[in-house]
This record gives sequence, C-alpha cells and structure tokens, in this order.
Amino acid sequence: MDRLKILADGAKYDVSCSSSGSSRSNSGGVGSAASCGICHSWTSDGRCVSLLKILMTNRCIYDCAYCVNRRSNDVQRVALSPAEVAELTIGFYRRNYIEGLFLSTGVVRSADYTMELLIQAVRTLREQYRFNGYIHLKLVPGADPLLVQQAGLWADRVSVNLELPTRESLQLLAPDKSRDSVVGPMRQVSSLITANRAERKQSRKVARFAPAGQSTQLIVGATGESDRQIVTLSEQLYQRLELKRVYYSAFIPTVADTRLPARPEAPLRREHRLYQADWLLRYYGFAAHELLDEASPNLDSELDPKTGWALRHLELFPLEINRAGYEELLRVPGIGVRSAQRIIRARRQGHLGTDDLASLGVVMKRARYFVTARGRYAGDAGLDSNGLRSRLLDRPLQKRPVQLSLALEQPVRDETASLITGEL
Amino acid sequence: MSGCYCYDGTLAGLLSLYARLLAERVVVERISATPPDQQSLFSSEIYIATDQAVAEAFWQRLTRRLSSHSLKLLRHCLLADHPQQELLIYTYLLLEAEQGKRVDGMLAHPAVAPVWKLSQQVGREAHRYLGFVRFQQLQGGLYYAAIAPDHRILLLIGAHFAERFSDQQWVIHDQRHNEGILYDAEKKEWLLLPMELHAQPEITPQEIQFQQLWRSYFTTLAIPERRNLKLQQGKVPLKVRGYLTEFMA
Ligand code: SF4
Repeated sequence: MDRLKILADGAKYDVSCSSSGSSRSNSGGVGSAASCGICHSWTSDGRCVSLLKILMTNRCIYDCAYCVNRRSNDVQRVALSPAEVAELTIGFYRRNYIEGLFLSTGVVRSADYTMELLIQAVRTLREQYRFNGYIHLKLVPGADPLLVQQAGLWADRVSVNLELPTRESLQLLAPDKSRDSVVGPMRQVSSLITANRAERKQSRKVARFAPAGQSTQLIVGATGESDRQIVTLSEQLYQRLELKRVYYSAFIPTVADTRLPARPEAPLRREHRLYQADWLLRYYGFAAHELLDEASPNLDSELDPKTGWALRHLELFPLEINRAGYEELLRVPGIGVRSAQRIIRARRQGHLGTDDLASLGVVMKRARYFVTARGRYAGDAGLDSNGLRSRLLDRPLQKRPVQLSLALEQPVRDETASLITGEL
Repeated sequence: MSGCYCYDGTLAGLLSLYARLLAERVVVERISATPPDQQSLFSSEIYIATDQAVAEAFWQRLTRRLSSHSLKLLRHCLLADHPQQELLIYTYLLLEAEQGKRVDGMLAHPAVAPVWKLSQQVGREAHRYLGFVRFQQLQGGLYYAAIAPDHRILLLIGAHFAERFSDQQWVIHDQRHNEGILYDAEKKEWLLLPMELHAQPEITPQEIQFQQLWRSYFTTLAIPERRNLKLQQGKVPLKVRGYLTEFMA
C-alpha cells in the first residue's frame, strides 16, 4: 500500500491524462478503449482521473535536478514488479476505476533493462490478462531502438519527455540524459508510426503501432527559456515529428538544488498561456512567429494570446461577420472553432446581426470590438481607442499569482475551466 | 375527446397510449402513469390499456419513419425521470406527425425545445456514468455496482459495459429506480430487470484490499498546491459520492 502511494506520488506531476484517440475493441478478453475518453473521477485539485498513473520504481541512477527521484535525493526507494503492476491495473480496471494504465519509471541499472521491465508489465497485461484497455508507456531515454519498437507494439501511446526546451538546459539540469537520447527515440517512433500507417493501408493484418500516437512533456519555469523558444519548439514537434500532443508542466519545486531558480514563482499562469498558444497552433492555424517575436518573446500574462495578436493587428479589423471566411473568423478573439462553424452554417439562412452572435456561442465581451454585423459595429469604443487593451484584460485588477499563496486559487479556478473547453 | 390520460407505467403501455391518441390527434392535458388498480371510481383520468401488439406495431412504424436524430431524442426522453416527460413526448410526436422530418431543424419550437433539452440531460448523465460505476467483487465472483442516477440510464450504458467486461459476471443496480442490468458472461447477454436489494452484499477480502488501494492511490494523486474543491464538486456532485469508492470513508 505504501509502495503504491510512493510510486503514484512520483508520477502525478506528469500531466498527460488523455485516454482518447485509440479505439480498441474487445476480442474475447477484458476491456476496450473508448475513442472519446472517459473520466472516472476528479481529484481535489479538479484534475480528471482516467488512468492508473504510476512509476514502476522510484529508484534511479540518474540525477536530474528537477526530480524527486534523482540519485542524490534522500527518499525511500521502492519498486513494483511487472507482475504486480499488471495485477494492480487489472484489479482497478475490472472495478471500473480506470480507463487504463500510464506507466513511467526511474532508471534502474540501465536504460535497456528498465525498458524491458516496462515492456514485461505491458505484455503480461495484454497476453496473460488479455487486456484491451488503454496503455500509455513512457520510453526511457537512451533505450535500444528494438525495445522502442516493441513498446509501441504493445502500447496505445508512447512518449519520451523532452522536459527542457534546449540542449543547454538539459545538460545543466539532466546531465545524464543527452538531447540525442531523448530526440532519437522520438524520431524513431515518428517514422515507425508513419511506416505502420502505410503498411496498414496495404493490409489490415499488420499490427498497429502506437495507434494513439506519441506525446511529450516540457517543464516550464525551471530554466530561463522564453515562451517564444518553447512555442517554436512545439511547432516543430507538431510539424516535423507529428506529435499528437505537447504537454506543459509548470515547475513546482520538490527538491532544493543550486542549479534551480532560487524561489521560482510557480508558473501556473504561464503554463496556462502556453496551453492557449498551443491550442492556437493546433486548431486555429496560427504559426509560432505570429504569436511571439523577438521584440516580445513572452506571452502576455494578462491577455490570452489570440487577443494579444489581434491588438497587434488592428489593421485587419473590424471583420464583417457575414462575409469573412472560416479562417478569418477563427482569428477573432471570442470566436472559437465551434462558433465559427456555427456562424458559417447560420448565415446560409440569412444575414446575421450582432444579436445573433451571442446565441451562436460567440463571447461578445471580447468579439464585439473586432467585428461588424450587417455593417454595424458593436463595440462601445472605437478600434483605435487606447483603452481597448484595458477593456480586454482577463482580470484587470488581479496581480500575478504567487506560488502557494491563497491568491492562487482564484485564477487557477477560471483557467482550468477554459482549459477544458479550450476555446479562445 | 380531450383531457387527462393514464397508463400502467410500462413502456408498452405508454406506446399503446400514444398509438391511440395520435391516431386521432387528441388534445391532451395530462398523461400519468397510474396502475389500473389504483384508479379511483371518480377519477377523471381515462385509462388506456396496454396492448403489446399495438405497442410493437406502433414502435416499428415510428422507428421506420423518424430520422436517427429524432429517434435518439425519443429514446433518451423515454428513459428520463421527469414529471411531464410523457406529455412532452406526445406534444413532440404530434408536431412530428404534422411536419415530418422538418422537426429535426426546429430546435427553438416550444414542442421541440424541452424534449431536446431533456434528451441532452439524459445523454450527458449516461456518459458520466460510464465513469461513475464502481464494481465490487462479491463472494461467489459476481461484480456488483450500485448507482442512483437521476434518469433511467441503464439501457444507454449497458452495451458499453457488456463490451468492456465481457468475461466477467456483473450487475449494475439502479437503486433509485429499482431496476438493474444483469450480464451473463457465458451467454454474452444482458437483461434489464426489476431489482431490489434485501441485504448488504457480502464482499471478498480481496475486494476490501483493492478498495483501500484505490482510495490511497486517489488521495495521493492530488497536488496540494493546486487544490480546487469547487471545480471538483462541479465534476463529482455530492449526490454521487456515496456510490464512489474513492469518496467513501
Ligand atoms: S531519469 Fe531523471 S527525471 Fe527520470 S526518474 Fe531519474 S532523475 Fe528523475
């Protein structure tokens, strides 16, 4: 019981939670993966629980500065055997506590040895228990390509955590991991997925390789990179390696280390802005350089990135809602993917007035300054007004949240809500 | 002919009633489920008797005629637990009889909007219960889960659990509506049955252990720096917590 506590504690900062994107139907054994994702519970911090998220062991031969499990940290060390991981997963699954397993680990003996342990746990589940539920496997940096390939055949999704955006930070804070040992497996997985897709077009009998794709995680705020560096990196990961998701995890110090910022502000607000920017990259057709440039390399903490972009490009607005194309509509603050689609559909029946917009899901509080409907402008101030920025601030009077202070509760609450819908 | 109607409370009874009333486009004030033996002598309600053959024929005609969208709407509303669902559905069916498939687009129409809203509530609750069911292993190997949903969602979630737990013997018991799904792993079949609990089910020692493990896992997961009870309560309302292992003492 204590082992489970320790090993769950070690994995909980890994932020990926999604169990969606893979549908596996049950062929005789137990379990299925629903492609829409099912949340089973929510923790007292409001995060959804859908997977058993644990470490196989918190023993580690490496010494990453940001990590509780690093070699030089004095904590109790425990481990579960592959058989125990499998038994626990199936026991939880049969009671409908979880959608599946997210298995990560510290590195014991060597990268390959550790990778083999993980694979053994997953094989036991798939073969012995005939488990068809969702499995997300963390790849160990530096593991042999053959093991990486095996992992992808047993799991639905695999990921290697990039953790730090630049080679230099990685070297500083994770001296035992090289950039290549992390990016190597990512490249390999990316090409294996592409190859697998092509093969499966030829024959459906070919086994699926990581059908839910690969993801990665970046720690934000442990080193000095700008948002521009981070967002540009994410853009490359989506474009070149076709990652399904990049997760951002605000660095919360759990160990003291001279290499870490002395009293870092828990960058939750920043994490939130990065998710918003990420959303703009993936669903709104924005490019990283449009959101951030050398002159302003960091996201505005007070404005969501789309509003920020719009304020820098007032020459493109106001936009006539009855004529604008889908791509243009998407760029209006307050119009999300769904409301843009609804506008397109609704205006086929007749011209839309400003009153119609709110019922189509447009957030008029923001959108009104950037659109006209039947030529009518709905803002209560002109587009060139200096006051526009202050009218559009998220929470004009709120100070930036400070780590662990009570002031944190307010902004975090609102932010999570908008994270879930993700509409900007 | 207009006024207040009642039926025996079964689905077949309700369909028999719709068949009769729709044929003549009767204007209705109220429809209620009252078993015939509880009818008072002076009741002004007109009782429509259940006729299995009429009900089946009516349902077949309806499923052939309605769009898949309307059919889904109807299925959800039939399972709703709402004081006026019978009348709401009837009003909708009247409009449909008049307008045909056009009703699909008439979301704002007073005969459509409430049905649509109710159907959404039922659908949303059913989806939530894909996650909110907790099985306990009983002596003898049966997996038992108790729930108390607002609406009668069992029929909407049965197929999901039948696929997912196809090799285990299980029951999901809706304690509010006194019915349950019994899944037979050998025949790979599930049945909706009236169900009542007479004694607390006896669980296995292994079950106790798994429950403890799960609770301890669940409490460890929360990150204290991000505590947000209000968000949690929005997602896991207090009324369902009594049935969720992780919230039990
Ligand atoms: S490799 Fe680094 S991050 Fe991973 S467990 Fe070991 S010390 Fe922690």
